Amino acid sequence: MRNSVVRTAATIVGFLLVAALLPVCLSGFQLQQVSIAISYAIAILGLNLLMGFAGQICLAQGTLFGIGAYVTAILNATYGVHPLATLPAAAAVTALAGLVVGLPALRLQGLQLAIITFGVAAAFPQLLLKLGTWTGGVSGLPIDSLEPPAFLADYSELWLYLVSLGCACVAAMIVRLVLFGDVGRALRAQRDSSQIAEALGVNLTKTKLWAFAISSALAGLAGGVFAILNGFISPQSFLAPLSITIVIGSIVGGSTSIVGAFVGGLFITFVPTWTSNINLALGNVIYALALIGIMLLARGGVAGLVDRLTAALTTRSNPNGKAGQSAN
Amino acid sequence: MTLFVQIIVSGLATGAIYSALALALVLIFRATNVVNFGQGEMATFSAYFTWQLCLWGLPLWLSIAIGLACSFLLGVLTFRLFIRPLLAAPVEATVVVTLGMFVLFQAMVTWLWGAEQKPFPSLFPEGSFSLGDVRILASSAGTLLMLIVLAAVIGCLFAFTRLGLSMRAAAFDRVRSVLVGVNVERMLMLGWGFAAVIGTVAAVLVAPRLFLSPTMMTPILFYGLAAATVGGWDSPLGAVAGGLLVGVSESLGANYVGFLGADMRIAVPIVLTLFVLLVKPVGLFGSQKVTKL
Repeated sequence: MRNSVVRTAATIVGFLLVAALLPVCLSGFQLQQVSIAISYAIAILGLNLLMGFAGQICLAQGTLFGIGAYVTAILNATYGVHPLATLPAAAAVTALAGLVVGLPALRLQGLQLAIITFGVAAAFPQLLLKLGTWTGGVSGLPIDSLEPPAFLADYSELWLYLVSLGCACVAAMIVRLVLFGDVGRALRAQRDSSQIAEALGVNLTKTKLWAFAISSALAGLAGGVFAILNGFISPQSFLAPLSITIVIGSIVGGSTSIVGAFVGGLFITFVPTWTSNINLALGNVIYALALIGIMLLARGGVAGLVDRLTAALTTRSNPNGKAGQSAN
Repeated sequence: MTLFVQIIVSGLATGAIYSALALALVLIFRATNVVNFGQGEMATFSAYFTWQLCLWGLPLWLSIAIGLACSFLLGVLTFRLFIRPLLAAPVEATVVVTLGMFVLFQAMVTWLWGAEQKPFPSLFPEGSFSLGDVRILASSAGTLLMLIVLAAVIGCLFAFTRLGLSMRAAAFDRVRSVLVGVNVERMLMLGWGFAAVIGTVAAVLVAPRLFLSPTMMTPILFYGLAAATVGGWDSPLGAVAGGLLVGVSESLGANYVGFLGADMRIAVPIVLTLFVLLVKPVGLFGSQKVTKL
């Protein structure tokens, strides 16, 4: 127990240190990209809760992300609400949308959610075009740029970075709280054996729906942040492959890890940028090989590898202690 | 009335393609309990390969025969490389790997052959014939005929041959099949191989209509998944019926529901699948599974 508290504290300190150093080391454009990576990381955090802990695969996380972005954009562009004030609405509306899709699929065991959401992701850009009167159709919607407070007046990228980081911290805390509570325990129980969990009194449907609602809410929040960062959105930003990309980010980072979500977010933001100069298909080849390779060789993703490494190091220095046993 | 029948006929022809892909998906699911999200893209890859053979001057039928044989090998290979190590893993893990195959094959096609659309020669003659007031395209009739032949061959294989019996046994209970002397691993491998061949048939049938492109099969994969869910994941007959049902209802929906039109027709199978999951979750022809602790 003490071991895990120490490890959590060390992770938080390390994370904050990196987060504080990034604005110092990076240029304005790079910082903007990191901010976008953080917005993806929020969506991945949601997916981790659903996929890593509840064992359900959602292939429409990018769609839910898009719904959040459009809620923010519509509230801001059409009704003049301050961008930051739209974020709770984006999360709430997206959670509702998730429930509508998830209710029939999550009553059942197996892959129904993956199948349904695969179709939803394919239909979403078309739906955006159909609802052109609200969504602006092909031409998309602009979002007011965020005015930084007076003391950061000259550093708008830094302000955007801080906003997205703040949202990500809230999201990480929500996930952490959920996992520590009863819902988290029920989630893990039903993932490991749904029959035994049910026999012990876990309401499977309710548990999975909770997970899906929170996961969708985080995707919506992430989408809202993404819309604010970009200042403009169109259906082009939320095509079906985005959802698969988010799954890739989750797996690469480690789908049962909170820090892993950030690693995944950075991975899916920077790999396409780096590879597109060489060959347009290369990014996807790397994605695919990373995805398959990690599943075959290191199921825990990058975070899992780091965990194993630290566990190996601590056991060597302390032969009596049982390190690396905690499930988180 | 003529229009109505016409719409149904065109729905059946597209449905036949969904049926073929759903059949491939169901075969794999029954054998290895994996929903193969990479099925459509594997088929696209084989279709491109076939096209390349045609381009090198081989006659169409020969190219297709070689393409089908190679896709069998491709299916066996993907099973050995990616799926066999994960047979004991949780369902989510295998799905992620098949998603990886989806991305991998799409990227490889884009890499090797580029993203531009390419025309694919049709297997069937041009033109159409009339049945009463209804005009039927030769290619539609041919597609349906191919599906019937395919389904009959697969059905007979499973029902009447020793190989089919072994495959069914291996799919039903791996451990006990080993005990009675079935080479389970070979059966699962064959299952993947046959499924890849069926998927390629679907791709070759659809390619002349949609043109070859790296994302050609992506929507069809979803229709295939919907068809398998509607028909029931453990029933090949259900896959065929589900595919035809999805095809017809999609065609009806696109023509008669004003809001949908041609560009939102993918909403039809989504709604259909959600409906079936609410009313009869195992699918129309599926059987209830009993799990023991």
